[in-house]
Amino acid sequence: MSSPEPLEERAPEGPKTPPAKDSMTPRIGVFVCHCGSNIAGTVDVSKVREAAEKVPGVVVAKENKYTCSDLGQEEIIKAVKENDVNRVVVAACSPRMHEPTFRSCIQEAGLNPYMLQMVNVREQCSWVHSKEKDRATEKAVDLVRMGIAKAEKLVPLEAREVPVEQSSLVIGGGVAGIQAALDLAQMGFKVFVVESEPSIGGRMAQLDKTFPTGDCAICILAPKMVELARHPNITLLSYSEVEDVSGFIGNYSVKVRRKARYVVEDKCVGCGVCADACPVKVDNKFDMGFGKRKAIYVPFPQAVPLKYTIDKDNCIHFKTGKCKACLKACANEAIDHEMEDEMVELKVGTIICATGFDIYVPMKRGVYKYWEYQNVITGLELERLLNASGPTGGHLIRPSDGESPKRVAFIQCVGSRNKKIGNDYCSRVCCMYSMKNAQIIKEHEPDTEIAVYYNDIRAFGKGFEELYHRVREEYGIEFIRGRPAKLSEDSETNSITIRAEETLLNKITEREFDLIVLSTGLQPSEGSKRIGKILSLSLSPDGFFQEAHPKLRPVDTAVDGIYLAGCAQGPKDIPDSVAQAKAAAASAASIMAGKKVKIEPLTASINEELCIGCGLCVEMCPYGAPEIVETDNGTKAKVVEALCHGCGTCVAACPQKAITANQFTDEQIASEIVSALGGMEGTNGKARKPAKKAEEA
Amino acid sequence: MADAKEPKPEFTRKVIEAGGATVNLCFQCGTCTGSCPSGRQTAFRIRKLVRRAQLGFEEDVLPSEDLWLCTTCFTCYERCPRGVEIVDIVMALRNMAVRQGHMAEPHRKVAELISKTGHLVTLRDQDKALRGKLGLDETPPTVFSDSKAQEEVVKIASLCGFDKLVAEGGK
Repeated sequence: MSSPEPLEERAPEGPKTPPAKDSMTPRIGVFVCHCGSNIAGTVDVSKVREAAEKVPGVVVAKENKYTCSDLGQEEIIKAVKENDVNRVVVAACSPRMHEPTFRSCIQEAGLNPYMLQMVNVREQCSWVHSKEKDRATEKAVDLVRMGIAKAEKLVPLEAREVPVEQSSLVIGGGVAGIQAALDLAQMGFKVFVVESEPSIGGRMAQLDKTFPTGDCAICILAPKMVELARHPNITLLSYSEVEDVSGFIGNYSVKVRRKARYVVEDKCVGCGVCADACPVKVDNKFDMGFGKRKAIYVPFPQAVPLKYTIDKDNCIHFKTGKCKACLKACANEAIDHEMEDEMVELKVGTIICATGFDIYVPMKRGVYKYWEYQNVITGLELERLLNASGPTGGHLIRPSDGESPKRVAFIQCVGSRNKKIGNDYCSRVCCMYSMKNAQIIKEHEPDTEIAVYYNDIRAFGKGFEELYHRVREEYGIEFIRGRPAKLSEDSETNSITIRAEETLLNKITEREFDLIVLSTGLQPSEGSKRIGKILSLSLSPDGFFQEAHPKLRPVDTAVDGIYLAGCAQGPKDIPDSVAQAKAAAASAASIMAGKKVKIEPLTASINEELCIGCGLCVEMCPYGAPEIVETDNGTKAKVVEALCHGCGTCVAACPQKAITANQFTDEQIASEIVSALGGMEGTNGKARKPAKKAEEA
Repeated sequence: MADAKEPKPEFTRKVIEAGGATVNLCFQCGTCTGSCPSGRQTAFRIRKLVRRAQLGFEEDVLPSEDLWLCTTCFTCYERCPRGVEIVDIVMALRNMAVRQGHMAEPHRKVAELISKTGHLVTLRDQDKALRGKLGLDETPPTVFSDSKAQEEVVKIASLCGFDKLVAEGGK
């Protein structure tokens, strides 16, 4: 089987000995896909197949209506077996779509899965050249010829298996992080939850009631928070920051900074005597600045863990070295002003990123005067003012005089759907939370006059339209279609006049209100930027984390073993966050339950003889895959395969040409280029007819 | 419905090419109308003008008196959350309207003054007297006091066809 054998002369009885299929003389099978009319509607598929058939080395060429279908795959398997094919070219869609499909297909046919070359004649031909059918076909023929040329040079590769740590890191302790952690812990995996604030609970803990059902947010969240803290499989690291993550799927090393809270967690019983003794009062961030708290505090009564924390920036002791009133008050000797940050190292197999969102902060000099008029507040501030455990005990007041407002206006889409500020997206919750809050205000004070200035109402979720109907019909909330153009304050009463066009009436109106609520949207949380860098996650145009596929891999990221949950991936309501958290937990579990994970062999490999150990590859690599090691032959670079993404950066950078990217070797790429230029090089020893261009060159 | 109309995307395309590139971004929130100083005094609704341009209702837009009620103050342009360059759209529409012979009379008069004198307003006797009282030259050091420059203004207006456009636009 050593010399090249023309197809028609192949011995009819087939090979006598079981062939080492992959390595022997190329016998290529080409499969061109119609993709229904996606490809065939533009590209003349039969012409492409006929052209492929004529290329030396190709022993079989077929076309299919849908190559990825069962039928199509069966045909590949059959053709491979019947024709003793050892390399397969599939001309269809992007390899990102179906490369894994066809790899397992040819493996089933007895080939090494990496003896496959995908040619993209859909995205790169039919879709982009739909108006030039002939030229699209011509391009498809060229691309297929190039694919065949590369297929000749393919070598079998083996995927490596690595063990998977049976533990997970959950970053963020909001409702998404809590749910993901609980699910994983319930499945028997060890979970570390890292939360930067002193308590878990996140944004949901700040809300009053939830739409559309009116459940009290903290009442349904607190049991989950407590369950998390008590679960034997969960370690809660509150008031902590993820500082560094290295490693790869199944084997991540995580460095966590446990910020000094100056209170020994094991000793603190949460009695609050220290806070009673503390003389410092500052704005409570949890209450959006409306309530006060002490410099030693828990952010809210249901906090988990119920451990006090000293706010170093406001503590008298840290400013002047005096006071220590808390220390004197604490019977358990839990206060330790000398405490220092502590670094903890964790080993985890998977990571769930649930870093949540921040509320959009209205512009400093914006038309809605948030920073100038006291009686203009945001939606989240209203949540705290309506909350029974909030600074006013649930009694709605207006900030300027503490009176209860008789006329309240909501302004929708503040910070959302706004091209000027770069937030093009809909925040998905503001319509509903405004309706919910309007209903609560009416329940507290039935005489309140409430108007919602909206542009479009988005009531798309389960029970949402019903709530919309209810607040209009039963509660008499007025909906005005028009985005306010101007707000002006009466300097004596501090009431605010909204000037707007009621677009459905073509009428410009000016109406006075006692309190204005800006229905501010959601944006990526400040901390998520740092976490994104540490985890090498990419962002979608809206600034939230990008999922691996918008439809089919909505909780995965481009980094294997890292998943997204909740608003870190984009604005969503509580049920969606919980659902996504459960999905992320299931995805992480599916990796860990397998105990081992396959690492793609499409990595860089280093020729030690050529390597001079200069370290340029180490510098260039975005994933930290190469490292410098001392060997018997001197200083050399070595690639940690599990970290390598096969991007090729180091290959291009290496001054010694010592690095090769598997399945993208210089030889393989050159063969494609040669083919594209008309075929200067022989195939199986036979010269191809050179095209004019190549002759001139 | 008697006045039901079909949208005409060809006209919308013309508006876009003429400088109203952002016309399709508008989602009719009304921030512009609420901000509009003309809308305070008149029935002018800049939001509706943009909508008609968006739909390609050429016959509603170009001959309309409304088109000339915009003061080009740019308040709507500044406040629009969609980044619709509203004043650019108005300008594009006005240019198209004038080429079809539609131009509001006051605008035509002003344009005529520019093409003849290089100024938006004339220099009246009482203005001259006022300048004199303030110790200024009665005629300001502009085209008004430079007959050569004035000839050039007229020449430029004629060479680029501005004078003709203005004269016909008023019909």
